[in-house]
Amino acid sequence: MRVVIIGGGVSGLFTAYELWRRGVRDIIIVERKYLGSGGSTRNIGCFRSSFTSPEHVVLMKKSIELWLNYRDELGLQLKQSGYLWIARKPETLDVFKKLSAFHNEYGVPTRVLDPDEAEHVQPGLNKSIITGALFDPTAGRMPVLENLVKLYLKLKSLGVTFHYYTEVTKLNTSNYRIKSASTSRGEIEGDVFVVTAGGRGTREILASINIKLPVVDETRHPVITEPYVEVIKPALVIDWDTTGAPYVTQTEHGGLIFARNISDVHEAPLTSHRVDAIGATIKPIIELIPVLRHVNILRYWIGYYETTPDHHPVYGPVQPYENLYIAAGFSGHGLMMGPITGVLIADWILNGKPSIPIAENLTMERFITGRLVKEIAIVG
Amino acid sequence: MGEEVARAVTIICRCNDITLDDVINAIKAGVDDFEVLRKYLRLGFGPCQGRSCLLIAARIYARLTGKRIADALSEYKVRPPIVPVPVRVLVSGGEE
Repeated sequence: MRVVIIGGGVSGLFTAYELWRRGVRDIIIVERKYLGSGGSTRNIGCFRSSFTSPEHVVLMKKSIELWLNYRDELGLQLKQSGYLWIARKPETLDVFKKLSAFHNEYGVPTRVLDPDEAEHVQPGLNKSIITGALFDPTAGRMPVLENLVKLYLKLKSLGVTFHYYTEVTKLNTSNYRIKSASTSRGEIEGDVFVVTAGGRGTREILASINIKLPVVDETRHPVITEPYVEVIKPALVIDWDTTGAPYVTQTEHGGLIFARNISDVHEAPLTSHRVDAIGATIKPIIELIPVLRHVNILRYWIGYYETTPDHHPVYGPVQPYENLYIAAGFSGHGLMMGPITGVLIADWILNGKPSIPIAENLTMERFITGRLVKEIAIVG
Repeated sequence: MGEEVARAVTIICRCNDITLDDVINAIKAGVDDFEVLRKYLRLGFGPCQGRSCLLIAARIYARLTGKRIADALSEYKVRPPIVPVPVRVLVSGGEE
């Protein structure tokens, strides 16, 4: 059986890895540019399972377990240093208490902290403007590029074929099956096709067979500073009560990454600089952690949250085709979901259904039936 | 590559202390795209944004893989601000 995976990023690579582990040997990955050139190398490298829908919590919890397994198996690096969500308003603490109870019910040990406890987790917090925090000790971060390259080298050594700088222009069908993919470098035939090409890429490929995928690439603008000694202790500190939920994370190399959801044109080109937004992105975080007012900004870049109407990914078969599957629309969570994405797509291809039943709620069918998933905390 | 250069510890990126050997070893390990190599080794990630390291690394890459230097560098984008800027300048709107 030949599986053709369209998209050479985290989702495509983990899908290939999982298929290989289960005995599939003829795997081709087709990538429009270079390894991870979309969201996989534009994200901030953080992960968590403390979400607000059972679907996200269950799948992400499993994904973190898998990341930890792969850390040993593939020599990856990751650190569970926690997420700290800061509350400025008293009433936010009630929200945090409800969220924490929900997380605990699903085995995610988040807890609500008072300002002193929060300052213990993140030294230098301005306690006078906060009312408390929610802490998830199982969340964490990783050096993304290093881990991605390690996974890539492993797949190459296993015999997975990669075609880079090869853009899929359309899928060719016959009797409700995908026969081949037309690309900028010729036609590629296969028995099974998986599209993991990010939001817009997946949408455009599906449009070639008249399938509508409601996903749009929302533009994000992370900013990184010069490297400093460790000042941010948790993986992520998030300002819950400020519009656009600004946050800060510090990379393994010392750079501080700031980001905030600022309103922008969807699918803005990667060169459409918004230097004007840097100040607004960082200001709220400096209020919370005043020492950060001394840092120097190095550069900023653009990435996309490939966003679906309910901010959850789209997994599984693409009806009415018998041999087409997708994993897309991660809405900012594609990296952290990578390992579970691989497992679920391999389940669907080889067994016809996912090994974790709740993943059935995330198929494309929900956009037809209108049974969308609800999620209220989309940051990080 | 001259013997004398290969033997010594040669820093090619002064921002992040990346050596000539780091580049050669990564290519030999199978990192076969320049943009991936650049990101993997964090070339161009420092304050100078690759002013000294990128061309050196691209030359070594071209030599070892037979690819063209111009192709190697075609995906690279310089990011604003071009030089490091104190955050207080951006946050306060210009006052020191």
